[in-house]
Amino acid sequence: MERHVNPEDPDLYALGALDGQDKQDLEAHVRSCAACAQELAAARQRVMLLGLAASPVRPSPAVKARLMEKVRAEEGSRSARPVVEPPARRRRFSLLVPLLGACAIFFAMLAGWLWQRDLRDANRIAFLQSRLAQTEAQSREIAHAAEETDHLLGMPGTMRAALNRMPGMTAGRVGVLYNAKMGMVAFAGWLPAAPPDKSYQLWLVPMKGAPMSLRVFSAGEWNGTMMTHVPPGMEAKAFAVTMEPAGGMPQPTGPKVLVGVPS
Amino acid sequence: MTSPMHLASDSALVEWMMAGDENALAALYDRYSGMLFAMLVRILKDTGAAEEVLQDLFLQLWRSASRYDSARGSLPGWLLVIGRNRAISRLRTRVRYEVQEDGETFSIENVASPGNMEDEAWRAQMMNRLRDAMAALPGEQREAVELAYFEGMTQTEIAARTNTPLGTVKSRVRAAMQALKQVFDDGTTRQPGRS
Repeated sequence: MERHVNPEDPDLYALGALDGQDKQDLEAHVRSCAACAQELAAARQRVMLLGLAASPVRPSPAVKARLMEKVRAEEGSRSARPVVEPPARRRRFSLLVPLLGACAIFFAMLAGWLWQRDLRDANRIAFLQSRLAQTEAQSREIAHAAEETDHLLGMPGTMRAALNRMPGMTAGRVGVLYNAKMGMVAFAGWLPAAPPDKSYQLWLVPMKGAPMSLRVFSAGEWNGTMMTHVPPGMEAKAFAVTMEPAGGMPQPTGPKVLVGVPS
Repeated sequence: MTSPMHLASDSALVEWMMAGDENALAALYDRYSGMLFAMLVRILKDTGAAEEVLQDLFLQLWRSASRYDSARGSLPGWLLVIGRNRAISRLRTRVRYEVQEDGETFSIENVASPGNMEDEAWRAQMMNRLRDAMAALPGEQREAVELAYFEGMTQTEIAARTNTPLGTVKSRVRAAMQALKQVFDDGTTRQPGRS
């Protein structure tokens, strides 16, 4: 009969309390025993929930404020970060040196060339991976928004707004579907890349109260479909896209570039 | 003020974060910071330190959102495991154990959520039941689990601290976790709001 781990050990392991030989034995065993691996997975779930046993305490609102400040600062420095080019190959020494020196230089140059090639390849791979991840994320977002848009189109009370270009805006178009009762907004279209240090920002202008930001378009040209929620019951007077400082503003400050009235 | 995104699912919010939407991060913070902060304060016994860990945790979430794969585990599960791990590392200044963080990623295996942790009502119900169940445990069993979970002690350390044979520590932890298992099992079969 197959010998399994001690019945206590999965819980102890999941708690981080198993140590010494017991820990090594369990780790070795679960690699080849599906039943014990399953028991360990269940133990991890139980242990994870133990975190809920602590008495509730709310963090100070300042923690969230600091977090969001850091995120904005990171985003700002990320967009302002200069592109780092690989250093140029150095050719400092003449070929008129003793043989050993020449060999050393040759191998140094060879290593440098290989290093540069690896760096270029690594950069290219990283770039392609990031583009792929971006594309996948956009595809998922578009698929999600498309499903929601279909749903929205079929709901009574859904209004449409085609946003028209204002003077000075030569390109870009955005259409909005809005259901006030459900608090759902779907928007689709295309916006060119905003000028440096600027972002386009989409707003819902309600009948009463201040405009509500729906989206900040920060990363270059935008072409897609998106979905967002607002508090239900808010009647919309208009939708507008403005040009704001990079990262967007809590309230519109810049010129309107696209405006549309829902009907 | 309630975020207009508060109705969106975790995975939708993570996708919006990937697109650079800070409001999505804010919505996830509003959803889970209370639960996490309670655990961090319990472990660290210092609200300032707990605030720092909480902030770092959500900052990591923002930075590595693109690596999140909802098929591999739930977001609150990830937050609870990594949050606890970081708090205990800080508390004890020792190497990470059990869960490998794999750099700044979401790559943790088997942290699937056993219930609908996105649902606030479910979490509140689970918190109450867990606290009741912990209170009902015999003192020595509760102590063994709490020393392991909230103080990050190993079985050997618990045995030394409580002056108890190692086998007894194991049995106590086992008995306590079996008693709590009923709470977990009930929680996963009765889930308000689960879709």
